[in-house]
Amino acid sequence: MTDKFNPYLFKYAYGVLLRSFSKNLFIFITLTLLVALLSATLFLSSSIKNEYTTRVSNQADIIITNQKAMQYRTFNLNQLQRVLNIEGVKSARGRLYGAYYFEKADKKLNIIALDEFESYSNRLLDETNTELEGASMILSAQAKNLLEEYYYKEYFNFIKENGSLRKVPIKGILKSKDIQKRENLILMRSELFRDIFDMDEREISDISVTVSNPDEVAFIAQKLEEIFPNAKIALKKDTLVVYERSYNLKSGFFLSIFIVSFFTFFIIIYDKLSGVSSHEKKEIGVLKALGWRVRDVLEAKFYEALLLSLGAYILGTFLALLYVYLFNGAILLDIFLSQNDTLHHVAISFTPSIASMILVFLLSVPPYIFATIIPSWRVATTDADEVMR
Amino acid sequence: MTFIKLLFTLSLTVQLFANSEISNAIKEKQIYPMGKKIHTSRCPSLDISKFKTYEALLSAIKEKHICSNLNTKHSEALSIYLWDKQVKKQVKELPKITITKDEKCQVCGMYLHYYPTWVSQINYPKGETYKFDGIKDMMKFYFNNKEGIVDIFVQDYYSLKTLNAHDAYYVLGSDVLGPMGNELIAFKDKKSAKVFFFDHRGKKLLSFDELTAPMVHNLDR
Repeated sequence: MTDKFNPYLFKYAYGVLLRSFSKNLFIFITLTLLVALLSATLFLSSSIKNEYTTRVSNQADIIITNQKAMQYRTFNLNQLQRVLNIEGVKSARGRLYGAYYFEKADKKLNIIALDEFESYSNRLLDETNTELEGASMILSAQAKNLLEEYYYKEYFNFIKENGSLRKVPIKGILKSKDIQKRENLILMRSELFRDIFDMDEREISDISVTVSNPDEVAFIAQKLEEIFPNAKIALKKDTLVVYERSYNLKSGFFLSIFIVSFFTFFIIIYDKLSGVSSHEKKEIGVLKALGWRVRDVLEAKFYEALLLSLGAYILGTFLALLYVYLFNGAILLDIFLSQNDTLHHVAISFTPSIASMILVFLLSVPPYIFATIIPSWRVATTDADEVMR
Repeated sequence: MTFIKLLFTLSLTVQLFANSEISNAIKEKQIYPMGKKIHTSRCPSLDISKFKTYEALLSAIKEKHICSNLNTKHSEALSIYLWDKQVKKQVKELPKITITKDEKCQVCGMYLHYYPTWVSQINYPKGETYKFDGIKDMMKFYFNNKEGIVDIFVQDYYSLKTLNAHDAYYVLGSDVLGPMGNELIAFKDKKSAKVFFFDHRGKKLLSFDELTAPMVHNLDR
């Protein structure tokens, strides 16, 4: 006999699977669910991590937020100039943003004010492919839908602090995929923003600082602390560490639970295959008596296990992708992210990582095959006569 | 009457010095980038040679709208940028020192791409270049091979821009350590060198010509 693939053995294995259908179906469903859950968790965790890192890497080196009596306060331009005068600061930008409470809908409209000639804002504007002109605004798709529900199709009336109305025409919608997902975002010019919220011409929300030399960031942060003793100073490096710390703890906890459940599963499988196999032992004995060699028996068993576990793996991975993409990881995501997490307000762009797929494959398919083959190998090597007795 | 006169002269002097009040740092970090952006995006062909004073330029931009419709902040940024560019005659910036993955320091043999902010360079005629993972190693090399050097480049600590080593100022013995420990750290001018000197507890602040071989070797002790 040659070493070639034997379709009859494969057919036989398929027949065996169908013969004890209910038992195999149980194993198949359990394995599928385990694979689906484990890969969904891994997909989610890798995409959350991706999201964090890209967000943090886009962030400025240092962000300073003003506080007074531990309450959020604005900065003014003089304070921004003090930051700019520090040696080693490459650029410092006074950012202007906030939220408008849309009472009828009980929703927050997040507003970012832009200056078209600042280097940062252009990136946002480039993504929208529209130009901010005068007193108009650009909406994200979500904000547009929200306003349309309340029949604001061409303009929106902001209620100012003194009770008067400010009518702002809607210029366009954000085209970029990334921003589109952001909840209720509005872009407008800083002059308009200041008018709506009755802000001083010199007021800014916070200051973002970039530093040329990475070695100097910590020292500049220290200097800023001396200049603004009450302000909150967030370093890019620290932010990433905080994210990772809070998040790694949860994902590690989850992963260990899954590993435990996998082990339990294999203990059950092993138990089943080595304990209840008096019937199968007889079967192997008959096969050997018919003239099958040990390797033929093992090959048939291998196909049997491969069909079952590979099928379960493929179906499980498919289910996981479906869950993550179509349902955005509905319940699992809530376990990973705390309620006040910033990522909660943003749809995460999922990136299924090949590495985690391979990991799940190695955890599910080969162990199942070994758990099936080893006991039958033990039976197959003993004498057929002895087995059947 | 005299009071009003006094007030008038006061306001005049304030107006006169209004522009020069803005520090160089703010101009370089905030106003010039913005002005440049307005200039290139709105009116790249604007000819400013016909304006005699800064004020004339500013009022033309602000009131006559010679460069589209700009608000006060933007017109000021544009006019400061254009005026200073014309007056100062921009110095050509030296290209950044580039490093490949397999380049090593000529003195200590360490890989350079781990320490991009510390790299310095010596050029010889016929395109021979030597790179070092710090100015200390570069100076050790320099004192032994002074003949025929064409260019010496170092990086400004704060901005990481390439400087001609002869024009730079150096702080020795500070608490900032390079890949080879104690370092000479270069600055584009004396002012920023002084800031660093006090911030980071430097021991000496010298120009290139004041550096000597024993001083450099003492850093290793």
